[in-house]
Amino acid sequence: MPDSNRRGNPLLRFFGNQRWQFITIPLVAILMSLITASIIVLILGKNPLTTFQSLLQGSGFIPKPNYANFKNVFTDFVDTVDAVTPMIFASLAVAVAFHAGLFNIGVSGQMLLSGFVATIVVGYSPLPAVLAKPLVIIIGIIVGALVGGLIGFLKYRFNINEVVAAIMLNYIIQYTISFFINTRYVDPVSRQSRVISSASRLTLLNVPYGDIRMRIPIAFVIAILLAIFLWFFFAKMKPGFEMKMVGLNQVASRYAGVRIGKTLIMAMMISGALAGLAGVSYYLGFFSSIQPNVLTSVGFDAIAVSLLGNSHPIGVIFSSWLITALSRGGTYMSSMVGIRYEIAALIVGLILLFSAMSQFIRQRINALISRSDRR
Amino acid sequence: MEEARVRMKTDEYIVEMKNITKRFPGVVANDDVSISIKKGEVFAILGENGAGKSTLMSMLFGMYEPDAGEIFVRGEKVKIDSPNEAVRLDIGMVHQHFKLVENYTVSESIVLGIEPIKHLLGVIPYVDIKSANKAVQELSQRYGLEIEPTKKIEDLQVYARQRVEILKMLYREAEILIFDEPTAVLTPQEIDYLLGIIEKLRESGKTIILITHKLEEIKRVADRCAILNRGKLVDVLDVETTSTAEMARLMVGRDVLMEVDKPKAQFGEEVLIVENLFVEDMNHFAVVKDVSFSVRRGEIFAIAGVSGNGQVEVADAISGMLPIKSGKVSLNGRDITDLPVKERTDAGISYIPEDRQSMGLILDLSLAENLVLKSYHDAPYSRGEILNKDAFLQHAKEMIEAYDIRSGGGATGMVRQMSGGNQQKAIVGREIELGSDLMIFVQPTRGLDIGAITGIRERMIEQRAAGKAILLISLELDEIMAMADTIGVMYSGEMQKITSADDITSEEVGEYMMGVKHA
Ligand SMILES: Nc1ncnc2c1ncn2[C@@H]1O[C@H](COP(=O)(O)OP(=O)(O)OP(=O)(O)O)[C@@H](O)[C@H]1O
Ligand SMILES: [Mg+2]
Repeated sequence: MPDSNRRGNPLLRFFGNQRWQFITIPLVAILMSLITASIIVLILGKNPLTTFQSLLQGSGFIPKPNYANFKNVFTDFVDTVDAVTPMIFASLAVAVAFHAGLFNIGVSGQMLLSGFVATIVVGYSPLPAVLAKPLVIIIGIIVGALVGGLIGFLKYRFNINEVVAAIMLNYIIQYTISFFINTRYVDPVSRQSRVISSASRLTLLNVPYGDIRMRIPIAFVIAILLAIFLWFFFAKMKPGFEMKMVGLNQVASRYAGVRIGKTLIMAMMISGALAGLAGVSYYLGFFSSIQPNVLTSVGFDAIAVSLLGNSHPIGVIFSSWLITALSRGGTYMSSMVGIRYEIAALIVGLILLFSAMSQFIRQRINALISRSDRR
Repeated sequence: MEEARVRMKTDEYIVEMKNITKRFPGVVANDDVSISIKKGEVFAILGENGAGKSTLMSMLFGMYEPDAGEIFVRGEKVKIDSPNEAVRLDIGMVHQHFKLVENYTVSESIVLGIEPIKHLLGVIPYVDIKSANKAVQELSQRYGLEIEPTKKIEDLQVYARQRVEILKMLYREAEILIFDEPTAVLTPQEIDYLLGIIEKLRESGKTIILITHKLEEIKRVADRCAILNRGKLVDVLDVETTSTAEMARLMVGRDVLMEVDKPKAQFGEEVLIVENLFVEDMNHFAVVKDVSFSVRRGEIFAIAGVSGNGQVEVADAISGMLPIKSGKVSLNGRDITDLPVKERTDAGISYIPEDRQSMGLILDLSLAENLVLKSYHDAPYSRGEILNKDAFLQHAKEMIEAYDIRSGGGATGMVRQMSGGNQQKAIVGREIELGSDLMIFVQPTRGLDIGAITGIRERMIEQRAAGKAILLISLELDEIMAMADTIGVMYSGEMQKITSADDITSEEVGEYMMGVKHA
């Protein structure tokens, strides 16, 4: 029997292979957004190639022409790693919930609460680094898991939609914490919470290496290991399989003997725990203080990043990387090429937009293939 | 036969499908199939599960495009690349598993896409739902498809949902009506009514294509019948001059036994005891009232009844899918009234549910995963928390062999892509292989071809001989009479009568089913 993938033109054959579409489709989305962005840059009268080049330079993927003291392409790159760490956690949080058919829109709130609790419990304590750092991570996990678990419980016990519950909790967390920061923990100069002890910070600063000084984000390693574990979890482990079942069909899952409530709550607890890790690596790693009255956009961007990565734990690493790198390269790009910083945000927006269309792209490609097969 | 061919050539064909081939990964669903359908006839399509009937008709309705071949409608070559295009050519289809939007009303569902539009203040467009309701009302009266236009889809029974689908076609003024296994989901009375409607539609000049596994239906309404076997067209027959046995033989490719050999029953101790069972539905409406019965080892206990008289709820309550209001259910002497589903399964209950697509299977998981849906916790399918996917596949291979499950994508193919009958075989196989002491079979042979039905019935007899207690719930009186050792008849949530199958005729069962006769 002729395999439909063996015919047709090579490009279609490449994108048409269903087994690899989880990776090829996002590539198409990225390609399309880059093309669209190039057109916009051209309209602005600039060169798209130098624009993209400066984006990559800004985020440390390729060297800049010159550097300040103690800096080089490697330090830039590590800075991006530091920024990408919370994004990976947050996107994994969204992806886990997606698998169980849930939408965790409360990642930002969960991040803030766990970051805040870790800050006041450990960040302002005199604990030595060997105790403080693990404690920060544990608090992040526990606080996040509790908030996530609460949302799952509300959904299961009272049938409260998880999106509504999460949005409400976002507000409650945001304003309650702002109140405490403003009244008790504020730094009068920066108007943010007081800076935490360096012993409790998850990012090591100014680590000398040769003649450069760089940051080392400890949590990054945890993020990568967790992503690999989650891959295994969904592919090979019972609870992961049960979450997928529940995400696809609750009635049939109940029929098969799966405890729906337990599974939903567990999925939200894992999602929340990951969000908590995102929170501590953001507020006690990438930053060292909390700005009151705002929720970070990381938890919301994570939704689109997770989509771009097809909610696949490994895919999420790559998509987090891409989106963070593009956002970070923006400042450098605007100073080098002379177009506004917002263009970088625009490119990111385009990628996210096209990735949200991935299902549509997949259908178009498959339709093209079946048409070319018939010739 | 020769004569018939010559005569047909001169007739006007409204649809011609020529040399149609359609491949899916791993299977040729249609292999060089050519059929021609005359205006105003009822054209039946017969074939085993997975023979390619639904696929062939889906191409006529624009859901797939053929890999090779041509389609002519009213003599003109057409390219039907979407259902919209099919509708434009006056083609309509009622699908095997129909999909309607649950919280739409009947007339909203029917006019969806071509709503009558009025303008508020002459500019702001809005859907004129009043005239839609009226149009639907008229249409339903004209064709005898009585329905309340303002009812929500979610409140409708299956037969009424099917009416909505039929009215949807008629509202779009379809001339060529495709019915994919419309009778598989209906009760005998409803089937009778539907066949009447089909005859009426033919009289009004419509052309009808009917897919079905039931030969007597073909005999009753069809003019001609195409037979498919594993994707290939075997023959097109004149129904009047062909016997049902001949049709069955052509379809399966060998002689088929339609009767199963049923040795005398050997009853053992009671496995299932149901005492004074009361069950309520989601709206706290009593659907099962004070039902008591028991099933013994080696016994097939069949519950007969018209659809919607509480039989399915009895099964759901025993298996743990519906809460029990009051009463007691015990299995092998153990009270299981309040146990969760999983513990009941472990205690020894297999359950083939009525609704295969929303309860029995997870359509977006693979066949292999669906075949271990209830046993993945145990060795060899998992060890501790780790699943053994190789064991999944090995098991699937054995099951595909044992139950003749035909899946183009093999063990790793998604169940959604399997034909309806093969989905059913997968569920039946899985539940039998659990080896439970109590097996609850609700409509186990629904949607299966004749050969597969005999196969499943033989398995039931085998399980009975192995000392299992079998609770069979079926809408088909024939199935009940053929299989049951003991018959219980339910009417309006109550058990009207329980008796040995030897002591009752099918007419009497029918009377109890209608609530005419009281015990
Ligand atoms: N979308 C799809 N993707 C892959 N394979 C498919 C798809 N649809 C159908 N098939 C395969 O094509 C074959 C024919 O399926 P089809 O649904 O046409 O059978 P059928 O004759 O309608 O059977 P049944 O009586 O069980 O409904 C089957 O082997 C099925 O697995
Ligand atoms: Mg079919």
